Amino acid sequence: MDEMTLNVSTAAVQVDGLSRRYGAIRALDEVDIKLDRGITGLLGPNGAGKTTLLSILATVNEPDSGRVSVLGLDPRDAAERLEIRRCLGYLPQELRYHRHFTVAGFLDYVAILKEIIDRRQRAEEVARVLAAVGLERRARTRIRALSGGMRQRLGIAQALLGQPQLLILDEPTAGLDPEQRLRFRELLSDLPGDPVIVLSTHQADDIAAICPTVVVLLQGRVRFAGTPAELAATARGRVWAADGRNPDAHLSWRGGDGRWRHIGDQPPAGAELVVPTVEDGYLLASHAAGAR
Amino acid sequence: MRPGAEQHDDAALLRAVAGGDEEALAALYDRHAGWLTVRLTRRCASPDLVDHAVQDTFLALWREARTYRGRGDVAAFIWGIGVRRLIDAIRRDNPARWRIPWRAAETQVVSSAEDQVLVGIEHGRLGQALADLSPELRGAIEATVLDGLTCAEAAVLLGVAEGTVKSRCHRARVALRAALTEQHGGSDPAAHRRQAWGTS
Amino acid sequence: MTNRDPEPVGPVAWVDGHASDGMLASYAAGTVETIEVWSVEAHLTGCGRCRSAVSAHVDAARLARNRSVLLSRAALGDGGRVRRLLCRCGLPDYLLDLVAATPSLRVSWLLSVVGVLAVVAGEAAAVRYHLIGGGYPVAAGYWPAGALAPFLLVGPLLVLAGVAAAFLPMFDPAYQLTVAAPFSSVKLLLVRTIAALTAALVPVVIGAFVVPGPGWLPVALLVPSLALCTFALAAATVVDARAAAVIAGTLWALPALLLAANHVPLRIVQPSAQLACAAVLLASAVVLYLRHDRFELGWMR
Repeated sequence: MDEMTLNVSTAAVQVDGLSRRYGAIRALDEVDIKLDRGITGLLGPNGAGKTTLLSILATVNEPDSGRVSVLGLDPRDAAERLEIRRCLGYLPQELRYHRHFTVAGFLDYVAILKEIIDRRQRAEEVARVLAAVGLERRARTRIRALSGGMRQRLGIAQALLGQPQLLILDEPTAGLDPEQRLRFRELLSDLPGDPVIVLSTHQADDIAAICPTVVVLLQGRVRFAGTPAELAATARGRVWAADGRNPDAHLSWRGGDGRWRHIGDQPPAGAELVVPTVEDGYLLASHAAGAR
Repeated sequence: MRPGAEQHDDAALLRAVAGGDEEALAALYDRHAGWLTVRLTRRCASPDLVDHAVQDTFLALWREARTYRGRGDVAAFIWGIGVRRLIDAIRRDNPARWRIPWRAAETQVVSSAEDQVLVGIEHGRLGQALADLSPELRGAIEATVLDGLTCAEAAVLLGVAEGTVKSRCHRARVALRAALTEQHGGSDPAAHRRQAWGTS
Repeated sequence: MTNRDPEPVGPVAWVDGHASDGMLASYAAGTVETIEVWSVEAHLTGCGRCRSAVSAHVDAARLARNRSVLLSRAALGDGGRVRRLLCRCGLPDYLLDLVAATPSLRVSWLLSVVGVLAVVAGEAAAVRYHLIGGGYPVAAGYWPAGALAPFLLVGPLLVLAGVAAAFLPMFDPAYQLTVAAPFSSVKLLLVRTIAALTAALVPVVIGAFVVPGPGWLPVALLVPSLALCTFALAAATVVDARAAAVIAGTLWALPALLLAANHVPLRIVQPSAQLACAAVLLASAVVLYLRHDRFELGWMR
């Protein structure tokens, strides 16, 4: 318990030795993470354990072993779990909706679930989040008539209800076009109350643009934790651009400018070293994990 | 824009609102919420209650726009709803805390003849007589005659008992009658005021 | 209204039959005397131009906030007539809104229930009035007991189905949100189940009146239906929710089918069976009370 109180001052979210398996599959394997306030990005491919980790942090799932501390609270204790849920805004990975609901009606419903009892206050909150995600004109539209991108924005909106101190967003930018993704980034930087935000994605450029901290999760284990610049730096000296393909490279692909980009130790003839991006660092880590 | 055209636009907007047009509701709000807020604030000092009353007014319009049957100004119709929503809001809240001692008042549905009477009222004999009334009596006249409220509603707005409202109205009418039938030539303004001033 | 203009209203208060901007600004700030206010307000009632001018002196942020709340409340609406009626009876409105999300209270669901009951009850009536030959022996009294078998099988199962739709995660598309939210899952469950139970019992009881059977049939269906639903809920705290509903359904269907096969379907609602159902009801209620916190967990396994 003393250790836990010590952690409160240092980390907003802390996970020690977290493991979770589904049958034979190890979704999470001895994961240790320490997150501070601000935005953290979880980067990894499908099946890496991002959704499992996020659902555990959102008190919707239970680990097999390990300790979890969210905002200094332990989700295993019923009273503390309730407190976590009071501060929580959660967007699950594939949120489905009551299709006959209107946009405003659905948000009103979630607002009641978040214990906003007073009707007027609920209307204010609904108006606020609708404006934040740009769906004000769609307040009376039925959800079944919304496009995929709008439904995603609705999902983000419901997470924002009640001004949560902890926002857990599983693939929030899925299905959003670049303009909407930009708007989403602005939204995140503008949130009242400076909440702790943990979001998952497999788009490296989202990470580079919004997250001061990134955790790379591959096959249920943490492969990297640090800033995006540090992730990019792990690939320093190993990213090359050339006119031709290199069969020895770990990875190579043709960029939009017609040149081939290689990640590997052996530069092909005539290749020049380039500045690595966050995506390069991620791909390198991915490859290394796959090779093991 | 000529007054007639304005009125026509407002009536058209109200019809659109009755038909479920949300844009029309927003347009009506943009036109009328400002003055309604000011006018309600002169009756009640709590900004929260005024905000609630304004929201409730336009919500009431949204639900019951069809009850406006084209008589009188749309603005007067909106005021009639607004002042009653304010009274509801005051009733829900603690009525004693938010009254202000005297308030201006307005007829609920003002026909143009009465408009003529009230505009420039400050310059006439009636205005002088009214100004000479004590604030409490003025408030009672305002609420019952000009706002068109019942004594019960006026009692909530003024934060007094219903009987008090009735007696104040009576005394105010007595005082006004006396002031208006008095001969003014060369009279002593102080004596005139003593006569016109009813006891609170 | 916080911007109080200390200057008195100047001599030029009215220009061309309209209030001057200074006059309107003072009016908005609340610094105008009562009698002048009356004439300003009388004028405003008829003049759109001056109304707009007054609006310009009101705090724009405040107007914008009220506007968005207004539009949000207009979009939300106040529900249908039923909801308003129930609100007036004193039920808190947020509970009604929660209940509205239950699938078994939707018109489509209720229509299906009524449809199934109509078929089953219709068949029983047809046999009774010899419109079709059911092949059932006619028992003592005036009703063809065998023809009642489908109704007796289906009635409580329909009630169970309604309740199952209220608590099974598979019927709640946004189930994860419900779990992750602070609102008590137990309270939510209770509210929804009671609503679903009432909504399902009404057509079944009416059907029992319509079906040609013993007079006590409508009442006799109550305890078994309640027992089934409570059992399903209690079982859901022990095993997976879907399994619990299926088990409950089977526990009713098997005896009903067996008794029907032996041409004594009415035994399932007779006193001895009623006692058994009452015992199940009580036991399940106790289990449910003791283990209700399992619903708060909502662990997804």
